[in-house]
Amino acid sequence: MDFLLFLIGILLPYVTVIIFLGGLTFRAARWWSIPVPTKVMLTPAPTTWPGVFERLTLEFVAFRSLTKGGWKLWLGAWLFHILLGVTLLTHLINFFDYGLWNQIGYGWYEGAGYAGIIFAAVVAFLFLRRVVHPGVRYISKASDYGLLLLLLSLILLGDYTRSFSGVDVSAVSQYLNGLLTLHPTLPPDNPAFLLHLLLAQVFLMYLPFSKVAHLVGWIMAPTRNQRNDARARWHRNPWNPVVELEPYASYAARYQRELEELGPGGERQ
Amino acid sequence: MKLDRTAAAQKYVIHPTRKKDMETMHLPFPRDWTPTNLNLPPNWKEIALAKLNELRGKYRELQLFLDICVACGACEDKCPFFIATNDPHNMPVARQELLRSVYRRYFTTAGKIFRGFAGGRELDENLIHQWYTYFYQCSQCRRCAVFCPYGIDTAVFTMAAREILTAIGLTPRSLTESIAKCEVVGNHMGMQPAAMLNSISFAEQEIKEETGVDVHVPINKKGAEILFIAPSADYFGEPHWFTFKGYIKLFHQIGLDYTMSTYASEGGNFGTWLNYEHMKKLNQKITTEAKRLGVKWILGGECGHMWRVLHGYMGTMNVNSNFLDEPISPITGTHFRIAEHSKAVHICEFTADLIRHQKIRLDTTKNKQYTVTFSDSCNPARFMGLIEEPRYIIRNVCPTYVELDPSVNRERTICCTAGGGLLADETLELRLRAIKPKIDAIRQSGANFLALICAIDKAVYPEYLKHYQLPIQVGGVHELVSNALVMT
Repeated sequence: MDFLLFLIGILLPYVTVIIFLGGLTFRAARWWSIPVPTKVMLTPAPTTWPGVFERLTLEFVAFRSLTKGGWKLWLGAWLFHILLGVTLLTHLINFFDYGLWNQIGYGWYEGAGYAGIIFAAVVAFLFLRRVVHPGVRYISKASDYGLLLLLLSLILLGDYTRSFSGVDVSAVSQYLNGLLTLHPTLPPDNPAFLLHLLLAQVFLMYLPFSKVAHLVGWIMAPTRNQRNDARARWHRNPWNPVVELEPYASYAARYQRELEELGPGGERQ
Repeated sequence: MKLDRTAAAQKYVIHPTRKKDMETMHLPFPRDWTPTNLNLPPNWKEIALAKLNELRGKYRELQLFLDICVACGACEDKCPFFIATNDPHNMPVARQELLRSVYRRYFTTAGKIFRGFAGGRELDENLIHQWYTYFYQCSQCRRCAVFCPYGIDTAVFTMAAREILTAIGLTPRSLTESIAKCEVVGNHMGMQPAAMLNSISFAEQEIKEETGVDVHVPINKKGAEILFIAPSADYFGEPHWFTFKGYIKLFHQIGLDYTMSTYASEGGNFGTWLNYEHMKKLNQKITTEAKRLGVKWILGGECGHMWRVLHGYMGTMNVNSNFLDEPISPITGTHFRIAEHSKAVHICEFTADLIRHQKIRLDTTKNKQYTVTFSDSCNPARFMGLIEEPRYIIRNVCPTYVELDPSVNRERTICCTAGGGLLADETLELRLRAIKPKIDAIRQSGANFLALICAIDKAVYPEYLKHYQLPIQVGGVHELVSNALVMT
């Protein structure tokens, strides 16, 4: 049993961190290494960097483009990410210092618990949408369903662990802090918690190699992060090929008679 | 929204290139073929996969968009061709998936091992047939990208797929016929110098009869200040013709020192919709001609995809640091800093600047019989961001102007559905269905004049409006300018 605790609770977390960060860095570096040969900006494209910053910030904070297509998907996606943020924040508090909850207030701790339940409901909505909506069902692959189911299990297990499994959250926090400060201890011996921990690590290791890599990729989309200065500045294409073009002289020779109709030297003044 | 799973869109598959045009253009594997008998070269699969691998190393946006789509479905009902057919492959994300599934199968670890289960798909002739069908049912209008949370642009996929199709010898006649003419004669219409001269002289005569003013258009004139480039349809197409007369009346009135060219008599660029090489080739005609004539800068007429190239690609492909001179309006002194590098100014920017400086006299009562509305074209609206200038001009030359419904206006526009090589008889029914939301909006606006700034728009709207029994007039923004312009 101790070996299993060591595996899931001490060895795997560090492996996960390496794969997660390494994987995301690898993906981002690969994208970054490929040139953007031309301008591909999309209206409304700003002409300045502060404008681009504002545009990306609005996309990040409010998912502005999604609002253009209707409110249902926007609300689902936006709530999902907001709740994801809340969840990450509460986990971070547990990572760093459980005592912080005393300063923030227990009400917030309770609130975070409810947020976790709404979080599961939102993921369930996104899953149902994939099943029910004919167009979205058509474009959904096994991995799209799989990822949502993995998330749903992860969240539900988290909710259960926190509120019903009887685990001592402060002990969990102590364990997490041990991981963080490189003084790892064995995790609390609670099956629900251990399963939650395991699934979270599976998710984090899969993330860089799945569509969830959009978390770093979205900001690199040239349609959104380019300035609309295509005519004002030179945009370099490193592989711009040389093309063969019929020179004017040979064109003029072919149409000599016709060009003379224009005037001397083929010019109409 | 319902899906039609009978591959409803397959009946609009576009006609193949003739062998002789393939030879003229030096396209790979010139031969006779049909969409049902592709007659592919024996090693087509290796060529196609090598090309895909090459392209994903050349275009960051391609590799990124192959990787980060989450299949959220925000784009699913935004494509006019999906609206037209309900064919699921015409959903932007499903269109992308035709390419993405091959990328997964051959270039990702999961796809190599788990194949179909990981969303991978074998590259076989059946799939190539689907590529040829569906990547030529995308007009590269980029409407889908507006709604995508990551700005994923289906045109990036369409362009890549067409590069691959070209490499294995599959190109559509609707593009290559025009490109071949353009490379040899100088324009898509195959209009030779004498015919162009005839047409221009005829326009001069008409203007003389209408206004009593002698207008003269210089052609191939060395040392002119400005090279004027227009899509070749403007030389004789209807209603393009009235816009063309509008340009030359305007230039005469302000005393512009300009020239047109027979060698670069085409502003449009059908190469854009085939591949990078042919796009660059056609565009290079304009830049080399500008240098040969020794002009200071380039002024471009009303055209959609021509401006996609002039705005977005020309500066990258064909312009070096000592290209031409500062783009300064000789009439107002305005320095068009927006064109500081490429030296190409849009006629709407130019005219709006004239109006702003009150350099032309306009009599709006000449357009008082019209309630004008403006339809944004995809490339000027979604790529250039040229949205306000045409409206500004229209408001200054017409007393009554109305906007279209926001759902198909500005960057959300559904434009002509005939760009991207879809301007062919075999796609007419498809296009008529695809344009319906826009026609509804035009009807609802109550306008009796539809103003456009794209040559393909002008070519197809009269037919669409006739089909939908909406008897209103179609014309260019500079046709309205022409009406209102006071000639002295």
